[in-house]
Amino acid sequence: MVFPVFHLPIIIIASLFVLFLGVLVFLKEKRSATNKFFLFLALSIFLWIITLYISDYPPFASQALFWNRATVGIGFLMGVFLLYLVLVFPAKRISISPFWKIFLAIGGIISILCLFTNFVVKDVEFYPWGTNIIDGKLFFLSVFWSILNMGAGIWVGVSKLKKSIGLEKTQFKFLIAGILLFFITGLTFNMILPTITGTNEYAKYGSYFTLLYIIPIAAGIIKYRLFDIKVILTEIFTVIVGLILFIQAIVAPSLPMKVLNTGIFLLFCLFGYFLVKSVIREVELRQEVEKLSQAKSEFISIASHQLRTPLTAVKGYISMILEGTYDQLAEKQVRSLENVYQSNERLIRLVNDLLNLSRLDAGKIEFSPELISLEEMVPDIIEELRINAEKKGLYIKMVKLPEPLPKIMVDQDKLRQVILNIVDNAIKYTKEGGVTFELKKLDEQEEIKVSDTGEGMDEGELNSLFQMFSRATAGTQLHAEGAGLGLYVARQFIEMHGGKIWAESPGKGKGSTFYIQLPIRLNPKLLKTKTRTITKSPDDIF
Amino acid sequence: MTKKILLVEDEKMLGEMYRDKFIQAGGFEVILTETAEEGIKAARKEKPDLILLDILLPRINGIGFMQWLKKEKELSSIPVIAFSNYDDPKTKKEAVELGIKDYLIKTNYTPQEIVDKVKSYLKN
Repeated sequence: MVFPVFHLPIIIIASLFVLFLGVLVFLKEKRSATNKFFLFLALSIFLWIITLYISDYPPFASQALFWNRATVGIGFLMGVFLLYLVLVFPAKRISISPFWKIFLAIGGIISILCLFTNFVVKDVEFYPWGTNIIDGKLFFLSVFWSILNMGAGIWVGVSKLKKSIGLEKTQFKFLIAGILLFFITGLTFNMILPTITGTNEYAKYGSYFTLLYIIPIAAGIIKYRLFDIKVILTEIFTVIVGLILFIQAIVAPSLPMKVLNTGIFLLFCLFGYFLVKSVIREVELRQEVEKLSQAKSEFISIASHQLRTPLTAVKGYISMILEGTYDQLAEKQVRSLENVYQSNERLIRLVNDLLNLSRLDAGKIEFSPELISLEEMVPDIIEELRINAEKKGLYIKMVKLPEPLPKIMVDQDKLRQVILNIVDNAIKYTKEGGVTFELKKLDEQEEIKVSDTGEGMDEGELNSLFQMFSRATAGTQLHAEGAGLGLYVARQFIEMHGGKIWAESPGKGKGSTFYIQLPIRLNPKLLKTKTRTITKSPDDIF
Repeated sequence: MTKKILLVEDEKMLGEMYRDKFIQAGGFEVILTETAEEGIKAARKEKPDLILLDILLPRINGIGFMQWLKKEKELSSIPVIAFSNYDDPKTKKEAVELGIKDYLIKTNYTPQEIVDKVKSYLKN
């Protein structure tokens, strides 16, 4: 029989790696039913690779039928263990309904029928490339069950995926990817290729692809974060090179070469051990940092929640008193309460700004763009601010557009915060006149222009306007409100969209104009990752 | 027609404030509960038209409440608006994945604005 020279080394590498992975996952959490079933799956794949190889190279022709039956029987067991795994995952204890128990038992019975009867595998034929099975009476029924088994695995996996949230969802995605790859390789090498070629000649190459599905399944179980891709690749690299060196040592033609190759192999083992260990340590350190960052973020969220709760009560009750929910008020009382309300609003904004700032500082902030129309969004914000402007005797208006603007991808909450911040400042620093909005379509951007008739700014003030803890002098002269955080956060939010924000002013007493430009086509990279890391430069902070 | 609102809010002061506003706005019947467990019982009994759900609750939080609600066929179609001062992106994402209609930050809305939001969700 003629086989490719690379066949045996690949079989050894694949089978040992599967076994290694099975034991590794099991040792991570020995008591977990999920990890136990993964070990059973890995063991069945390991045995299947071995029996598949021997069935093509039986030591004695009389054993060929036994090895072929063992291969098919263990193949069915792989399906049974995979379905078991999906049904149990991610639980640590086994809890399976009677229906699934019966379904899985059928798989077990088919496997036994394969091994000990001629119902599934009747006999074998010998060919130059290996052996070919002759189907038994129940062969097609067993194939049908096998397809049903895989379909059930995918169905259960997808149903659980829909109900899962957070990290568990990612784990299920890995698991389903593994099942799909198992299904595809099984179908390709055991059904499609035999149908096209009329022989089972290529079935043996199915074992080459076992790593393709066992790795994502393992990654899903051990949680993909812990089973970092960097570690996986380092481990694969080390195991493969180690095995090649080991085989070289065994097949070396002379004793000195054997000794030399063994020495190289042992040295590599030592090197490989430290390499994998250092990569795992690096990944663990990164995870530690992520955990700390998460803990910090949760602390800030809780702290801001605690700060906001009394502010909500103040805002709620005062707004209800002002709306006349409890009784009509005298004008003097209304004015006083409005002042309390505005002060409370300022505190709320400060808490919001500090929360945003801490998230920017942590390097992580949620970015959720959606398709919206600025023409619809901006008038809503204007209406929201109209009362404040009119109370100060100021106008607030939007210049009508000559032509409609196309919808664009925008994180609505963030853009709303930016506009509110700009207009709030404009109203604050304007004594007479008002605020005018203009929307415009440029070549590749849409522009929001906000002009006021306020104090205006000089060049120095304009340059430091969007930096942290910086306010134009108008801010210190007229009102000592706000901490200069709002515009810094605004700039970060707009830059998150790939846009620009800046201010212009002809000088003191001549008003200011703020420009926000947002891209009509959002960079696809921003769409793919909803959570984006913002890297700050020292210039941004000071 | 009177609409039944289930309000799950552990801050008694805020719960009473929102309840007063809904009653004053007219057209609403408000069932106020302080824990997720009470909220679950009330939802089973009263079959509300909409649930206003705080997220940080003692023992079982708003996310736990939503996970339970999703499992109950009769109640899973009730629209839920999360309203909380807990502004955590991860929790927001989980809540959205569990099917909430909106996640409102309480401090950003007056009770009247909350009533308006609820009205608009009940219309749709």
